Amino acid sequence: MIEAFHIEALAHISPAWPVIIGGLIAAIIPNFTLRKALALAVPVMALVLWFNPAAPGTYGIIEFGGFTLETFRYDPLSRIWGLVFIIAAFINAIYGLHEKDRLADTMGMIYAGAGLGAVFAGDLLTLFFFWELTAISSVFLIWGARNNAAYKAGLRYLAIHILSGVLLLAGAVIRASETGSWAFDGTLTIETTGGFLIFLAFGIKCAFPFLHNWLQDAYPKATITGAVVLSAFTTKLAVYALARGYAGTEILIYIGAVMTAFPVFFAVAENDLRKVLAYSLNNQLGFMVVGVGVGTELALNGAAAHAFVHIIYKALLFMSMGAVLLRVGTVKASELGGLFKSMPATAVFCLIGAASISAFPLFSGFVAKALTLAAVAQEGHVLIWFVLIFASAGVLEHSGIKIPYFAFFAHDRGLRVREAPANMLIAMFLAAALCLWFGIFYGNLYEMLPFPEAALYYEPYTFDHIVGQMQLLLGAMFAFTLLVRFGLYPEEKRSENVDFDWIYRRFGDGALRWIWAMMDRLTAAIGNVINAVGRKLGGRMFQAFSPIGALSRDIPSGLLAIWTSALLAVVLLIAYLAP
Amino acid sequence: MSDPSKDKSDELIHPVARPFLWLDAPWLKSAMIWVFGLLALAFAGVDFFHHRHEYVPFAETYGFYAWWGFASFVAAVMIGWFGIRKFLGREENYWDKESHDD
Repeated sequence: MIEAFHIEALAHISPAWPVIIGGLIAAIIPNFTLRKALALAVPVMALVLWFNPAAPGTYGIIEFGGFTLETFRYDPLSRIWGLVFIIAAFINAIYGLHEKDRLADTMGMIYAGAGLGAVFAGDLLTLFFFWELTAISSVFLIWGARNNAAYKAGLRYLAIHILSGVLLLAGAVIRASETGSWAFDGTLTIETTGGFLIFLAFGIKCAFPFLHNWLQDAYPKATITGAVVLSAFTTKLAVYALARGYAGTEILIYIGAVMTAFPVFFAVAENDLRKVLAYSLNNQLGFMVVGVGVGTELALNGAAAHAFVHIIYKALLFMSMGAVLLRVGTVKASELGGLFKSMPATAVFCLIGAASISAFPLFSGFVAKALTLAAVAQEGHVLIWFVLIFASAGVLEHSGIKIPYFAFFAHDRGLRVREAPANMLIAMFLAAALCLWFGIFYGNLYEMLPFPEAALYYEPYTFDHIVGQMQLLLGAMFAFTLLVRFGLYPEEKRSENVDFDWIYRRFGDGALRWIWAMMDRLTAAIGNVINAVGRKLGGRMFQAFSPIGALSRDIPSGLLAIWTSALLAVVLLIAYLAP
Repeated sequence: MSDPSKDKSDELIHPVARPFLWLDAPWLKSAMIWVFGLLALAFAGVDFFHHRHEYVPFAETYGFYAWWGFASFVAAVMIGWFGIRKFLGREENYWDKESHDD
């Protein structure tokens, strides 16, 4: 366990605040160097605050409008998530050093700070505040690409994330009205209306199946740095929220298993390598969600460890593709190949990220994923275990092989570009070093997990585990070489694969347009009927009341007397019957 | 695949990459089949001399992970190719062409 030092004066300040305030200050700093220095400094300040608490507990309590807001809950679960968010913020700041975009600097910091704030939130109201802040700040990293596709994807992204926030708030309010509690802890349950709405809010951010398309839609359209930053916080915050509130909820096991499997197929067919990484991200989230669903100490350790190492190696992979995008101008697999000749360092870093996500021994994915798989098998979820093993081979396919192979090897397209800028290489180097560090010195990772005793009891580097994993990886790699050799591996081609988003982007959009058109017609038809009735009625009235109408003619006095008598009779009858 | 002799005279190739130009050689593709095939067989062969202890008994069968990895990879590629690309694949400007999106 990392020993904490303690400065009493700082005890109640969440690591989120310096990062958010840094972002706000960056908004008014026109000087590029100062802004970048600030972006590097705030994660360091956050780290100091992360180290600071003397013991687990709830700090930074704010009384506001009759509510008690807990801004700094420091316990084993929030600790590890907080630390990796700080590491990610620092590495991302280095990666974005070349980028001259004040808005991106500002929003990148606020977004990272909001992620930290949400992780350290002790109650649902505080969580809601930071939850929405992550959505509002991060959308600028998509819009930062400054093109029409990114603008529209950003709008869709914002809409679904605001919806997530609204569901969270609605669920929290309903729950508070029923129980009087705003607690963000394990008392949440999907059995109640409030708890279910909150679960759904977390599910949107976690990219549950059918709620996932915002991820593959928005991330590949974000800026080069934006995609790296986005890959770290939102979805892992959702995994944290599920681990905090819904650990052991059985349905998560099945949701997670589906999440591990279906993105594999989409990733195979995808041409945009950043979109492949977005599908891959979805697949990795599945492993974590399964771990949360199993809910044992070992499984929760697995989810936490996986989230920790995943943030680093996924950022590394996004960074390498970002470097390619910067230098070549595209990450379409059909346009790439042979880039190791121009960008050898980027290629090596990408291979390290690929080896980590594929869980090669000595790389971080190996020691993290093993915990979840062991927990799933121990709890007797055999079918789910088989799905996860299938998905592990799938990970190797899309992130382990496809990404580095099609970008840096495969067919040399004659692309001769410069190596990535120095700041990008440094960021990738740091991430790659961490992938190896935690893969080799896994004890450093395990001792930070929510249940360190259970983790340290687990030994990942057994002979059986290494042999089994190498069989899996080599069997899959053999399949790849064989398929390529016999022309059975699909050629990369420029295309777009529609996903569930077709339902709302095409079918739903079409249906709404049809309904709108029909409403237009209906309104016109009703208008016509009203006009016709009006005209007819007007004609009749004219015939009756106009100067040449029926009532203007001389009426015999006898007839008028009869009508007057009848009217009088009616009045008398009413007067008689009235009580 | 580029011509290796051309590569040597290509001044734009990064100096660090020059010693590794053989990675682009045509023979490597065929060689990798043998390398990975033999390594997979070797690791699978370990099961005949050493009993792996697994939480799932079926995973203790000889070479389980090797053939499961092989089959999973082939299945992923085939389903991705024939399931996703054939049925859900559209032209690249699919979302562009009808003006109301992207």
